[in-house]
Amino acid sequence: MHSSRTRRAILDAAIATSVVAVMGIARGVYSNELMLFNFIMFLTLSQGLNIIYGFTGYLPFGYVGFFGAGAYGFALAVMHLHLPAFAAMVCAGLAALVLSVILLPLLRLSGAYFAIASMAAAQALYEVIANPDLENVTKGPYGVSLSGVFAPAASYYLALAILAVTLMLVVWLRNSRFGMSLQAIRDDSVSASMAGISVVRGRTVAWTLSAVIAGLVGGVFAWHISVFYPDTAFDLSVSIFATVFLLFGGATTLVGPLLGVFILYGVYNVIGIAVPQYFQFTYGALIVLLVLFLPNGLVSLLTSRGIRVP
Amino acid sequence: MRSKLLALGVLAASGIAMARAPAQAQPAAPSQITIGELYASSGPYASISMPVYNAFKMWVDETNAKGGVQMQAFGNKRIPIKLIAYDDQSSTATAATLYNQLITQDHVDLLIADSGSVLTSVGVPIAREHKQFLFDVSGTGAAFFSDDNPYIALMADPVSTIWPHYISDYLNDEGYKEGIRTVAILYSTNDFTGTQAAALKGFFERDKKVKVVYYQGVPTNTSNYTVLINNIAAQNPDAVLELGYVGNDIAFLRNLQDSGNQFRFVFTIYGGTEKEEIEKNVGVSAVANTFSYVPASNYEYKPEIGMTQTEFRAAWEKKYPSGSGVAFGANAIYGYMTGLVIQRTLETTKSLDQMAIHDAVFALSGKLKTLDGTFELRKDGAQIGEVTPLGQLQPAGKDDLKLVAVYPPDLANGKAVLGK
Repeated sequence: MHSSRTRRAILDAAIATSVVAVMGIARGVYSNELMLFNFIMFLTLSQGLNIIYGFTGYLPFGYVGFFGAGAYGFALAVMHLHLPAFAAMVCAGLAALVLSVILLPLLRLSGAYFAIASMAAAQALYEVIANPDLENVTKGPYGVSLSGVFAPAASYYLALAILAVTLMLVVWLRNSRFGMSLQAIRDDSVSASMAGISVVRGRTVAWTLSAVIAGLVGGVFAWHISVFYPDTAFDLSVSIFATVFLLFGGATTLVGPLLGVFILYGVYNVIGIAVPQYFQFTYGALIVLLVLFLPNGLVSLLTSRGIRVP
Repeated sequence: MRSKLLALGVLAASGIAMARAPAQAQPAAPSQITIGELYASSGPYASISMPVYNAFKMWVDETNAKGGVQMQAFGNKRIPIKLIAYDDQSSTATAATLYNQLITQDHVDLLIADSGSVLTSVGVPIAREHKQFLFDVSGTGAAFFSDDNPYIALMADPVSTIWPHYISDYLNDEGYKEGIRTVAILYSTNDFTGTQAAALKGFFERDKKVKVVYYQGVPTNTSNYTVLINNIAAQNPDAVLELGYVGNDIAFLRNLQDSGNQFRFVFTIYGGTEKEEIEKNVGVSAVANTFSYVPASNYEYKPEIGMTQTEFRAAWEKKYPSGSGVAFGANAIYGYMTGLVIQRTLETTKSLDQMAIHDAVFALSGKLKTLDGTFELRKDGAQIGEVTPLGQLQPAGKDDLKLVAVYPPDLANGKAVLGK
């Protein structure tokens, strides 16, 4: 029993390592680095979302709020504290952590109420950051330029490191008592509580972990792109993409979000470059088909037949 | 031994000479020049992006019809242009990926940014990182230009701080004589209009004649100005300056007409700059007698290269007749004018090396006169050659308006009429 769990964990870790290795090698093979960076960004964000949605059932539409908080945490640390980029990344994570603590009361809501409240919170933060009266602090709506720390190679590999840590975290959650307890909370919080599981602690840990991952991704995004506007950092499509990729592949698994990103974001880029006029039609049709025929994601093709998916 | 050394020396010298010989010969001419460009067919920037893209395509077609651009670098051979254009759908994330695609996958010879500061912003660091010269059509953000970045030049719009000085000069001069004492400034909080608003406020505070009684920024996606107009009316200003993109100006002018409020002097950027688009959306009566900039689409400069404004307009209307969805305006001029700068750059550049392209573009500064006026660059690549006279949309017959330049006096072709 114990060895079978270990074997599963090793298989999961091997998949995670392979993905990181592929994305690392890809930079030397394919020169559109920003496209690869975006793949890493969404691979990490969809796994970050997986931690809060897949393991606890909370789906935050405003997930981009943590991403934006991280981007601006990084930018403010560079602009005002003149910190080097790696130190500023700590501020990116901290900014998201602080925001997640402030938003902890949202966990008292559930379902659509939680989803919409989180989106409103992200929008509120955007309005504060983009306020022209705060131009001296955040640069307001006029955008941030961090050309002094612009380092595409270093930021790419840091993004890769964040992806590696996130994937390993998901591997751990899938194979640990804590991860099991989160899934128990998701399925029936009252029963889980009766069984001695601390529901509040479990949800709080998952929420903050998920937020810090998004914050770190936001920070490394700010570093990599170096010039951005609040509209870019708080673009709702970041939340939408991460959510769609997660649902397309299948939540709670390691492989589901990976498949979602590789397939859907791959299609997005192929269509977006080759035939942009068909982009919205094709993408919309794919999602409609998925919702109609595979509501639990691609992995349900296997799980519905009793096959374990990593 | 000495003879062996001598022989070796002769051999080495002849080897070096042979190796150098091909480098001194004229390089082989490429079969085509590839130009990469982004455009936005949808989203908030489509209205300023599509006219640029369509006009640039007109220049490409016109040039290829002649067999291409005659390049001195390749023995005055005519080389056709191949345009690779991607649709970023007004998304900065998509635009960033596509700029990379054009540089790293398509290996374009020349790179043109999408319209406006927001979609240009992501291209600036990418172009710089890849040492690719960026033809910035109308991205006027001050942060784009620095002395240590030689890989950018602004083609058409002057930098944002240059635009509004004729407005404050007029109000402080002729407006003051006519009794204008107070002004309200309402602006959209983006690089383009925010910079102009700040510059205007500074001009008024410096000159201490007309007083700013209302100064408010609103998000660029604002689509209802009713409450804001009532707030402005409560301050009872003589002049109201609304600085926004096309969508903002349409909403503002509609709401102003509906509110029934009247001010002696009302200014919008796109009332004149995209006159046809604004008239189509708000009607002639809502925009009549308002003030605006006079762009090259309404002012006849004498070009030394390419078509005149009248000829270009006729060609535009032939290719994109009324109802085709893309209206003629300043952005159409910018697109065609960018083509003319590229044409002269390719004609004179020593090679397709990006620093040679930079040198050729900067060598045109102050010397190139197109239908958009004089092309003149600051050392950091910002455009300073063009002027933006103040104009007024005055009635000209039934259901028609004429954009009359009213200030400065040396560019004026009419006189301003202020409201009572």
